Amino acid sequence: MSDAIVVNDVSKRFLLPSIPVGATVKDLALRAIRRDGKRDAYVDAVRNVTFAVEGGSTLGIIGRNGSGKTTLMRLMAGILQPDSGSIVCEGRVAPLLTLATGFHPDLTGREGARIELLSLGFSRKEATALIPRVIGYSEIGDFADAPIRSYSMGMMMRLAFAIAVSVDAATLLFDEILAVGDVAFAHKCLRTIEDLRNHGKTIVIVTHDTEKVRAWCDLAVWLDDGRVAGVGDPSAVVGAYDNLVSGLIAREGD
Amino acid sequence: MLEPARSLYKYRWLVYELVLRNLRLRYRGSIFGVFWTLLNPLLFMAVYTFVFSVILKGAIPKFPLFLLCGLVPFTFFSTAVQQGSSAIVDGRVYVGKTLFPTIVLIVVPVLANAVNFAIALPLVLILALVLHVHLGASLLLLPVVLVVQLVLTQAIATLLAVVNVFYRDVQELLGYVMSALLFLTPIFYLPTSAPARYQAVFQLNPLAALVDSYQRILYAGTVPDFGRLGFAFGAAVLLALVANAVFIRYREAFAQYL
Repeated sequence: MSDAIVVNDVSKRFLLPSIPVGATVKDLALRAIRRDGKRDAYVDAVRNVTFAVEGGSTLGIIGRNGSGKTTLMRLMAGILQPDSGSIVCEGRVAPLLTLATGFHPDLTGREGARIELLSLGFSRKEATALIPRVIGYSEIGDFADAPIRSYSMGMMMRLAFAIAVSVDAATLLFDEILAVGDVAFAHKCLRTIEDLRNHGKTIVIVTHDTEKVRAWCDLAVWLDDGRVAGVGDPSAVVGAYDNLVSGLIAREGD
Repeated sequence: MLEPARSLYKYRWLVYELVLRNLRLRYRGSIFGVFWTLLNPLLFMAVYTFVFSVILKGAIPKFPLFLLCGLVPFTFFSTAVQQGSSAIVDGRVYVGKTLFPTIVLIVVPVLANAVNFAIALPLVLILALVLHVHLGASLLLLPVVLVVQLVLTQAIATLLAVVNVFYRDVQELLGYVMSALLFLTPIFYLPTSAPARYQAVFQLNPLAALVDSYQRILYAGTVPDFGRLGFAFGAAVLLALVANAVFIRYREAFAQYL
């Protein structure tokens, strides 16, 4: 099979504006006089990342907190644009990013799902047709017409998961989704992901659970400080990563 | 540079839906519903006509019409800018988290107010007919004025929305600025009643040029002053370019400040 996702030399840096927020009028006046702090700073979140994922296979992305995993996911989802390099994803991409359930608390679950579907590029008619399937899968029942502010974190994730799997995407991105929701629903998610794999979908997961990566993934990418520290066979990459982490824990123990 | 505009086209259905929602939410729970869009200018017209025509004995003929020609576009401008400028902060749950771009959040309140404006504008036309204003072919130029105003409004709303992310003072200040602008734009009086040395205030205010255009088309039944309208258009385009550049530079930093 040909490659479904091609990430080629992608870099992303974030601007940290020098705008002094929370400054008082006095601070601002002093800054103006001293002419300091005028330079904006940058953070390189992702640096020259390259890898390719074969269509129908599963990629696991691992790495410590702040290593750029979530930024990479957002780049693949198209929420962010890379500063350099290119990302090509075949077909529709359905992102499910934990830190990124963009549901407005005032909307009902149904309305929130509708906004999500429209932002995935569906027409109003298509969105209307998809909603019953999404609500049905999410098992949120009567809460579908209650404001999202009344939802538990688990319910919110169920709704987000239901959207991601209902839109017939070729590629699905899951960022740390298995950490939330109750056991029964987590089980259902796992079965669905298994099912999606069997149906030839390309899946990308970000997780701290390296056992899952070993068990499920066909390919692993290890990110460290925005760079690819390892890519290839999941057992080998996870092994190297686990060695490093246990080394860090041991050093902390001293 | 055109990327924000392109993304708006891509997400047009979302924008459409959000504009509808904005309009529905505004009048939810009210008896008169969308009729408030018409009642609002009429009630203001009654109050201001009483104050300026009856108490202060202003000499402008057909004062209610003269007033509405300025007040209706001004209300569109001021509400759109006020709602637009807080749009990024109000929509913080979406910023950096959804596929649709942040610019959608600012465009929606501006368009929703444009719809309200479009509903209220026929009121001015009807009043013009009732008061026997000869509306000629110059009426065809009305869409041109509308487009200039839309560009100007969107540009200012976008610029202020970005600044408001970093300094919420914008939201606080804007109420006062809009009150000042309401009186510094010739809506209640003729620009000629102001002393000559203050005429520059009107000349440099693009909103005054727009109000003047509406007054000429709908009150005097003549064509707008193309020099002034051109100035307003130039100012609108310049502000739009600046707003676009500022927005693009800071958009990925918003999330850190919300």
